Amino acid sequence: MTRHPPSPRELALWSALGVLALGIGWQLVAMRLGPLLMATPLQTLRALAALVGSAAFLHHAAASLLRVACGVGLGIALGLLLGLLAGRHPRLRAVLEPLRWLLMSVPGVIVVVLAMLWFGMGTTMVVFIAVVLLAPGMYVNTLKGLLLVDPALLEMARVYRFGAWRRLRHVVLPALAPPLCAALLVATCGGVRLVVMAEVLGAMDGAGFALANARSTFDSGELYAWVVLVLGLVALLELGLLRPLQRRLTRWQEDAPAMHREAGDA
Amino acid sequence: MLEFDRVVLERGGQRVLDGVELRIAPGERVGLVGPSGTGKSSLLKLAAGLLAPASGRVGNRFARTCMAFQEPRLLPWRSVLDNLRIPLHAAGHDKACARRLAGQWLQRMGLAERADAWPRQLSGGMAQRVALARAFATAPDLLLLDEPFAALDPALRRELGALCDAELARTGAALLCVSHHPRELAERVDRCLRLEHGRLLPCALPCPAIPDADAAVIPLFPQPAAPRQASTP
Repeated sequence: MTRHPPSPRELALWSALGVLALGIGWQLVAMRLGPLLMATPLQTLRALAALVGSAAFLHHAAASLLRVACGVGLGIALGLLLGLLAGRHPRLRAVLEPLRWLLMSVPGVIVVVLAMLWFGMGTTMVVFIAVVLLAPGMYVNTLKGLLLVDPALLEMARVYRFGAWRRLRHVVLPALAPPLCAALLVATCGGVRLVVMAEVLGAMDGAGFALANARSTFDSGELYAWVVLVLGLVALLELGLLRPLQRRLTRWQEDAPAMHREAGDA
Repeated sequence: MLEFDRVVLERGGQRVLDGVELRIAPGERVGLVGPSGTGKSSLLKLAAGLLAPASGRVGNRFARTCMAFQEPRLLPWRSVLDNLRIPLHAAGHDKACARRLAGQWLQRMGLAERADAWPRQLSGGMAQRVALARAFATAPDLLLLDEPFAALDPALRRELGALCDAELARTGAALLCVSHHPRELAERVDRCLRLEHGRLLPCALPCPAIPDADAAVIPLFPQPAAPRQASTP
């Protein structure tokens, strides 16, 4: 083993190895369980190609994407907004605390059952569940992050008469970026899972509904094709949206002073 | 006009300022000295409106009060140029004007090439120069300086001090300056006050004509009698 930390390229290679191991494991288990219980990777790929070409696919995929976008977006926005407000107004924070405790303690299944009771089947119910279960985590992380904002910089912002918006944009949010990026990742991945679960239980379309449908018709190829699609969506959101966002927000930290960088490369 | 009227300030259960009276007229330059931890910074923060007195009154009728802190306090996640541009924008300049002014100030400070650098890539002296440029760029008519040169070596301190004096002479802004270097203060201020036991007392200015200013540093802490210039090459 070298004492140097491994390069990003080497780490990517190890990750590829991990993916390969998962694929081999999948193949072995599928061969043992038989085609009725688990499709092999190849069968899944074939089913995926057929699925993507079908007319129903676009409808289901669009329904799920809309729900993920609304549920995750609203959940994150609500948690962030309430967190920022509660950080500035201790009374509001005290008022919200019981609600936060309630939402974080209640089992997800109870929320699902109640939401189905209140909203029936469909988009409203799915989005409601995602928002209610995602917002508290975002709220807590925002509040915690606000404690990290440098009081010296807040003083500077007051001296230079930054308004509320300018202070938020240039002082508070950049300071919050590291904890919020982690919270965004958790919320986004959790949001996709919640939406699919809620769809399985109570929707007439969407990826979750299609999954449940494939299961009841014992079409394991299509079932696994949907699983791969959902995993692909999470990967796309993380690698295509959240990682670039995080890199942009924390650019000022990565970029080491010139002399340090040279010393590190040498 | 800045007026302190029987100002009392308590911090952490202790009475830091105990009936302070202070008047600074437009264009007047006042120095503030005193042992470490006597509340000089708190007095400046009161003047800047960052603190409120426990009793008494702080009246500030200057149109633009600006404060330069001991540390640069630049936004680490904004470029050097943006660190000048954003406060100018906040001060009411439109976007294009703020950008142009920020660029001009960087030029004047000899930092035009570092406009796109992050603050952490600057040396301490450069960062403090940006912070001073930021303070001057908003065109204050009352400038509060909280030992902004304290962490710098003597040569840099003189350089920034000269820059500061030139700018004050140009704008005619009033000044309240905390310093541990009475001789440097003497060149910069009209009168000097000493903060002791929560009260302001008049304080005689040392003669500014003596060239070796560094000999008269008031130590912040009791120091062993080691040669101070030992590390200079």
